[in-house]
Amino acid sequence: MGVTIEKIDDCRWRIPQQGKMRSEGLVFASEAMIRLLQKEQALEQVRNVATLPGIVGPSIAMPDIHWGYGFPIGGVAAFDADEGIVSPGGVGYDINCGVRLLRCALRVEDLRPQLQELLDLLYRNVPAGVGSMRKDLKLTPQQERQVLEQGARWAVRQGYGSEEDLRHTEAGGTIPGADPGLISERALERGRTQLGTLGSGNHFLEVQQVETIGDEAAAAALGLFPGQITVSIHTGSRGFGYQVCDDFLQIMQRASQKYGIELPDRQLCCAPLRSPEGEQYLAAMACAANYAFANRQLITSWVRDSFGQALGLSPQELRLSLIYDVCHNIAKMETHTVDGRERRLCVHRKGATRAFPPGHPETPELYRQVGQPVLIPGDMGRCSYVLVGTPGAFAETYGSTCHGAGRLLSRHAAKKLARGRNIEVELARQGILVRAASRGTVAEELPEAYKDVSEVVGIVQRAGIGKIVARLKPLAVVKG
Amino acid sequence: MTYRLLEHTADMGLEAQGSSLEELFSQAAQALREVLFGDVSGQKDQAIHLRVTGQDPGELLVNWLNEILYLFEVRGIYPVSFSIDAIDANSVCGLIHGELFHPERHPVERVVKAATYHQLLVEKRQGVWRARVYLDL
Repeated sequence: MGVTIEKIDDCRWRIPQQGKMRSEGLVFASEAMIRLLQKEQALEQVRNVATLPGIVGPSIAMPDIHWGYGFPIGGVAAFDADEGIVSPGGVGYDINCGVRLLRCALRVEDLRPQLQELLDLLYRNVPAGVGSMRKDLKLTPQQERQVLEQGARWAVRQGYGSEEDLRHTEAGGTIPGADPGLISERALERGRTQLGTLGSGNHFLEVQQVETIGDEAAAAALGLFPGQITVSIHTGSRGFGYQVCDDFLQIMQRASQKYGIELPDRQLCCAPLRSPEGEQYLAAMACAANYAFANRQLITSWVRDSFGQALGLSPQELRLSLIYDVCHNIAKMETHTVDGRERRLCVHRKGATRAFPPGHPETPELYRQVGQPVLIPGDMGRCSYVLVGTPGAFAETYGSTCHGAGRLLSRHAAKKLARGRNIEVELARQGILVRAASRGTVAEELPEAYKDVSEVVGIVQRAGIGKIVARLKPLAVVKG
Repeated sequence: MTYRLLEHTADMGLEAQGSSLEELFSQAAQALREVLFGDVSGQKDQAIHLRVTGQDPGELLVNWLNEILYLFEVRGIYPVSFSIDAIDANSVCGLIHGELFHPERHPVERVVKAATYHQLLVEKRQGVWRARVYLDL
């Protein structure tokens, strides 16, 4: 069945409440994006999410929306704390997949002569690809339990970073309420060997330069200036998170039947927030989210080591400091004002980034005047963006915005387009160096496989659900 | 070959068919193998027994494929072929034939996070078993 969609304005579209929908759909997109979306099943997925019990306000899709599994990628949905549900499919397999951005004191001209050496060191020091791991990081079961409870704080306690890093991480790098007792042996087994690894697919580590500034005051607050070197890290909870999600999908299949929840797609299986299954999922999800925070914190430490080794500079000279770390696959209990009334909601962000406004207590003090930093990676050939959260996002999207460019081509189509080409050489001609564990990954991740991230953030800015602070240009990329 | 890979914007799917559930599960596993490694073959000096359960044939298939992913990712088993010893709607006993994974000998085409329940289908129509599973990449 096709999905009815009505234009609201140049960047908003409504899916009217029909059939079993309990609310309407709200899609942020341009006309051209909507035409593309109608060729796949993403809009059906926005509609399907709107059928779930306890949804408050619309089922929302960001402009980087694309066809996911169950929920669309780029989806945001909030559920009432008492009447609503929680769904592992609304978070995804890669629980707390996210991005962190580091800035440093160097300018592009300081780094250029050592760029290849730095890239080689990053590739050596940060494990990427299947089976790759640091030989000097072996977790005991007890240490793994601490990782699940403490997140990035565990890594900082082991010497991999500072208190300042934690202040600049969403939720301080630790989601409360984690219960390792709910985690399966299999998830623990997968987690033990994969902590401190980048993974594969769209995950990456990228050295960038600040290309342009969009908002001087916000850039100053974030410590960004043109020509400055930054580093982005995009990864999540690895096999540990995948296993937690898979374990709870099975539990939720049974819970959906038990609580009489009708599902348009089995991947949307869920349980009431006020049920043992719902509470247990949130406590297990917190373990995986904390694992992901610790993962990105460890990688940050090895990035700092690599810069020091390549440039022969001390940490004080490099000043590689964390601007922010944000999740884009998570469900969180938050307070939002709906129809003039404060409500406790479980906000699912699947391929969507939290974007809290200036003045919000969870926006770090350093950024309280300008808004929470939002990190939007693009593709490895064009650019990425730094945004800040806005009052508009808080009012309209539960303080959420987009999370990336969004895929345009299927893996097969991307590979076909890459056939006969050497993508690494093409990127090198543009001044972008790439080291990848798999050439197949580079082909499937070629820049044309993604929407132009500039168009995506353009919609976000016009809609008032994010404000552009800076554009970052890739210089060197590690892929799994 | 009685399977095909399905296009999906971000991920991939597989469709398999067989005259029996045994053949269906074996073909679905071969399709997963192609997603992971392309059509490159390998040695069969390891044989791993596995038993998987599920509350219906759909969940059983998801669990079967996720078991193969687990054995590859955690135990380093590079799968080459699959055989089914016994199967019903709620359990499958089978064998994975393959060798120990070696990154240089076994280039990985793409990493699969999991087999999902999205638009999951296992059905018997006109005497033929058919399955569709989407994979999260």
